[in-house]
Amino acid sequence: MPPRKLYFENVRVGDELPAMAKSPIDRVQLSRYAAATNDYNPLNIDELQAKAIGMPSVVSPSTLGLGFLGQLVTDWARGGQVKKAAARFTRMLWPGDTLVCKGRVSDRWGEGGRYHVELDVWAENQKGELVVRGNVTLKVFYSFEDETRFRTGQPPLIVNVPRESILVAPPAPAASPAGKVSAAKGKVSAKDSRKPEKKPAKKAAKPAKAPKAKAKKPAKAAKPAKRKK
Amino acid sequence: MLDRAAVGRTTPPTLNEVERGAIRRFAEALGDYNPIYFDAEYARASGFSNVAAPPSFPISFAAGSDLRELVGVPARNLLLGEVSFEYERAIVAGDRLLVTSRVAEISDRPGPAGRVEVAVIEDEGRDEEGQMVFRARRSYVVRLTRES
Repeated sequence: MPPRKLYFENVRVGDELPAMAKSPIDRVQLSRYAAATNDYNPLNIDELQAKAIGMPSVVSPSTLGLGFLGQLVTDWARGGQVKKAAARFTRMLWPGDTLVCKGRVSDRWGEGGRYHVELDVWAENQKGELVVRGNVTLKVFYSFEDETRFRTGQPPLIVNVPRESILVAPPAPAASPAGKVSAAKGKVSAKDSRKPEKKPAKKAAKPAKAPKAKAKKPAKAAKPAKRKK
Repeated sequence: MLDRAAVGRTTPPTLNEVERGAIRRFAEALGDYNPIYFDAEYARASGFSNVAAPPSFPISFAAGSDLRELVGVPARNLLLGEVSFEYERAIVAGDRLLVTSRVAEISDRPGPAGRVEVAVIEDEGRDEEGQMVFRARRSYVVRLTRES
């Protein structure tokens, strides 16, 4: 059964990734993660040592939360390739913490036959506190046809799509979902802001469709001229 | 205290063989059962050349030197504040990557409870032909404990 793919043409700025709830972090998971990363920091696995230095219990490596965000993204990206990922850890992770990972498309652009989607991602603990936030850049095919061209050694489909987050200023208060979450613990407000963002996305998407009539090379060369190496 | 003279300190390239079993155990530890991490055929149909490694997998790489050797403070006193990765291509099972780490920055900055010390480590992984595969950047702050 071939995996379903995520294509650029189906992504819009403002799209939300389905929220992903993880099972509570437990000490068995911390042991397995220590083994998998070959990092046996005693504060992650040895309760006595952790308490000896004044901590309430072992603590989870913050990168575990990063791994969860990776899962959120790869589940959604279905074959899209992660080009960049950056994360900032804002709160310690403890055994018993149950994280919910969320994300949203913050930008997309196509240039010279390469298509990128940028995501804001973040995770909240069971108290609604932000524990990690980051952003991810994915490389995807424009469409099934673009992928087929790649697989058969043909030149890529070229549709130039300018960065939308620059063209369309995001609604002021909703600029950073992560910031908002930390400021207001407001899951609800995060949802409210979804609609205003979708409209500009659609508008910007239209010019993308027009040049889709994948002309032959000469025509393409003209358009991305300023970016040609 | 971080060793201020550590800036520029670089570990020798250390070979990391990306084993399929290591990928599987890493994904299992995350509770992530995406078949691209377990099933080579599925991974190929998804556009990878073999079983893929999860995006945060480079965390598991050894770089020939631990943090204490690099910056003069044991790992348990360092709190990871930020991390970023950049990939030239996906890391897949069978890769043989030479990983080096370099101390990029030692500084201090104001924190909520006085000044905090910060160490930034940059890693890179290349294949055996010398092609860049990934870069990483890790920022640590020194954690104050009862001992220190």
